[in-house]
Amino acid sequence: MSNFLQFTVFGIMLGAGYAIAATGLVVTYTTSGVFNFAQGAVGMIAAFGYWELVSAHHVPIVAALVIVLIVGASISGAFVERVLMRRLHGASTERPVMVTLGLMVILTGMATIIWSPTTQRTVEPLVSGQFPLFGINIQYQYVLIIGVALAVAIALRALFYSTRTGLALRAVVDDPDLLGMSGVSPNRMSQYGWILGFMMAALSGVLLAPTQSTGISIPALTLLVVSGYAAAIVGRLKNIPLTFAAAIAIGLAENYILNYVEPHLSSALQSDVTNALPMVFLFVALVTLPSVRLRAVGRLTTMRAPRVAGGLESLIAGGVFLVIAVVVGFSFSNTNVKGITLLTLGGEVMALGIVGLSLVLLTGYSGQVSLCQFSFMGIGAFVMGKVAGGGSLLGLLAATAICAAVGALIALPTIRLSDLYLALATFAFADAVANGFFADGRVYGSGGLTIGRIVLPGLSLGTDTGEFLMMSVFFVLAAWLVLAIRRSLFGRRLVAVNDSPAAYATVGLNIGFTKVAVFAIAAGMAGLAGALYGTVQQTVGTTDFDFFSGIIFVLFVTVWSIRTVSGAFLAALTYVALNQISPSGIGIFAGIGVILIGRAANGILGIEMLHFRLPWVKVPGGAPSSSNGPLSAFGGATSGSEGIRAVG
Amino acid sequence: MPSVESAPETGDDVLTVEGVAVRFGGVAALSDANLTVKCGTVTGLIGPNGAGKTTLFNVISGLQTPDRGTVHLYSTDITKMRPHRRAKLGLARTFQRLELFGTLSAGENVQVGLESSVKWWQWRHVRRAFPWVKSGVPTGDGEQEHPPSGPGSLAVVTSDRLLDGVGLGGLGAEQASAMPTGLARMVELARALAMAPKILLLDEPGSGLDDAESQALGELLTTLAKGGMGVLLVEHDMELVMRICDFIYVLDFGDVIASGTPEQIRQDPMVQAAYLGTVSDTEASTVAHPGQTATDGVNPGSEQNEVAEA
Repeated sequence: MSNFLQFTVFGIMLGAGYAIAATGLVVTYTTSGVFNFAQGAVGMIAAFGYWELVSAHHVPIVAALVIVLIVGASISGAFVERVLMRRLHGASTERPVMVTLGLMVILTGMATIIWSPTTQRTVEPLVSGQFPLFGINIQYQYVLIIGVALAVAIALRALFYSTRTGLALRAVVDDPDLLGMSGVSPNRMSQYGWILGFMMAALSGVLLAPTQSTGISIPALTLLVVSGYAAAIVGRLKNIPLTFAAAIAIGLAENYILNYVEPHLSSALQSDVTNALPMVFLFVALVTLPSVRLRAVGRLTTMRAPRVAGGLESLIAGGVFLVIAVVVGFSFSNTNVKGITLLTLGGEVMALGIVGLSLVLLTGYSGQVSLCQFSFMGIGAFVMGKVAGGGSLLGLLAATAICAAVGALIALPTIRLSDLYLALATFAFADAVANGFFADGRVYGSGGLTIGRIVLPGLSLGTDTGEFLMMSVFFVLAAWLVLAIRRSLFGRRLVAVNDSPAAYATVGLNIGFTKVAVFAIAAGMAGLAGALYGTVQQTVGTTDFDFFSGIIFVLFVTVWSIRTVSGAFLAALTYVALNQISPSGIGIFAGIGVILIGRAANGILGIEMLHFRLPWVKVPGGAPSSSNGPLSAFGGATSGSEGIRAVG
Repeated sequence: MPSVESAPETGDDVLTVEGVAVRFGGVAALSDANLTVKCGTVTGLIGPNGAGKTTLFNVISGLQTPDRGTVHLYSTDITKMRPHRRAKLGLARTFQRLELFGTLSAGENVQVGLESSVKWWQWRHVRRAFPWVKSGVPTGDGEQEHPPSGPGSLAVVTSDRLLDGVGLGGLGAEQASAMPTGLARMVELARALAMAPKILLLDEPGSGLDDAESQALGELLTTLAKGGMGVLLVEHDMELVMRICDFIYVLDFGDVIASGTPEQIRQDPMVQAAYLGTVSDTEASTVAHPGQTATDGVNPGSEQNEVAEA
């Protein structure tokens, strides 16, 4: 019984910590419409900053708290709103997701440079000591966390629903212009929201840091709030009391499972379960959410999509690409870079290029964000290694099919909801797979999983040159596939479902089917890329498909252009090159890149001044060839299109 | 003669709305909406801003679930059916605030509608599916038709002709979001027509059109109705509504306060009160009572009637 009480108190404390982080997410979302994926990273920086002040520089605790929670969080929250978020108003839906992810990888990258991960750091509780209650000892730190969480929830609820500022904070997302007309600055309200959100993040980081039994770690603290995501989702990203209650329930469930279920599992499975729990909670939360009502929002996307290459044009471009690949393949067959053959790196570029293409299809065309393409790569490589002895065409097929099926399963619970929830589900899935499945020593084996090179009858692909050329062929085929899909009926539907879901449904098309189908195709492509990556590396290990690497690669594609085939290739090329030059700085590069690109939906390749056009390429659109106004065919004496244009 | 008249007996009831109520928090957007649209007629739905017209369109097309009431398409209860299923049964709509596929071209917008309504193996029947493309809608320039060579090209040809039909000939390659509002509304209309609907819901299609174009729109809608389609029209251009509608419902504060022929509606004091607020609340409340006629209490030729037409 005393054990149960002990677990309960610890569970409530854990949940209270999640509640603080989750209410911070709710505050930011309510006031800006942006889900801050960097919430955990902000908490992590606050925890490390607090450790730096108190443990390394012996600053008094109260002064350190003021510096971290009030001064630091306020300044950084206001800065992020002003510099990063304000200019995203009206940008495409995936852009705020990318920018907050960019902030996350910048913060984790900077933290890794400042605080070496090899050093162990322990944060002391703010209040030490314990007291007995009902036969158990309760730490004062636990009481502090629970009390602070309750106070924060009550204060925020009161702020939002009992004050004029709270009303303005809630109104700013619905209609900032209308709010502006009532004499309240919408930008200031949004800035208050970000400051509050950052304060909550910092508070949760500082309070939860002492509970980390093995000391504070950058990835663990950054991802600690994934459980908080589930709570925020239960609260539908707006209801603070519900979010608080859900966070406590999650904390309790997590602690009960860790203490009552895990001891009965084999030791190898225990860490898998621990790592999978946040994802399980998130999926349960997603399934319990009511469907989002389709709305006719009347927001017309004004983005000019990049031109889609025609069939012949892409055939010629693919042919030229393969000729260059042949030249490179035979010219650099013996060249090494840092002990790795150049063609192996080239093969990596092609594999990642295919992952980039899957993102072009998924995010570029249909507007859905997946943060777990590297997870599919890892699963694909695993399947490739396990089927038919590794290195077979059957393995490629199996990797593609299994990843497509897994992708459909992930997408299914989220199709009733908005695209943000798919991004969240994939974030949680990537975390669980990378830190649970892939990190399990039995999956890839202690020395990594061996994957042979593909052998076709009469065709030797065993050499580096043969492998590189095969990878190039696969990349070109994948690019042709993506472009062919875009030109097809299905491609039009992908763009249409992104542009206006309400119109899409009312012309008789099934939104859910389209979204699941494209997610499954993209997952299958990533699985194929992973299987091919395995044949390039010949051995894949636990760190090949790291969670943060997957996020960073998505940002690379976004920076170049997530809407074009060339963007996918250039992202893969620069990712592999920079990974060789500066593996620790690659996240910072990606984060800064995505922040600089900001709201430019077509990335670097969409910048007008970089455009050149081949003289024989026709441009669709252009000047209207008819001077007739609407309905002129019916004999109406129209004033011509100019009159109508004046109206528009 | 009741002020809320029954729809004229010109064809089968293609759409029937009964007792629909929708509340948003404490606000009743629709209290007890009832209407019927018959095949081969243009039915008007008018009312001041905030009367619940667009909410009713959302209920009919499936974007809003009603708290109460039913919607039938012919005899099929579609009240709880998802929007795309309703569209498959022949219900198409346009939106008051444009809902175009902005990054696609005008032609592709129409193609998406076409490809949704016609399966690839049915393409050879496409002309039967869109008789008004062939005969009901003049192409304007009398160009010689070239038989299409396959389903894909037929989709393009048909979408071009649909665009021709709404006066957007030659603008098929224009990006939809770059088009001015008036043209963009016509793209929405062509996309809806591409689905060969049995019932067409139009939410203020005339806004952004000049007088001549509004005239032409009226002719198109009349032609479509003559072909057997039921048209439900929300429109603020009273001249257009009174000219082309066979029957009109008037909505105010979520209730159908009057219905009848254009002539009856023109003379209805409730309508004038709803639009102009010239009838006292006491008087207005009496008009909705059963037994009250649509023309009771109207002084023919009064200033109110004339203003109501405006």
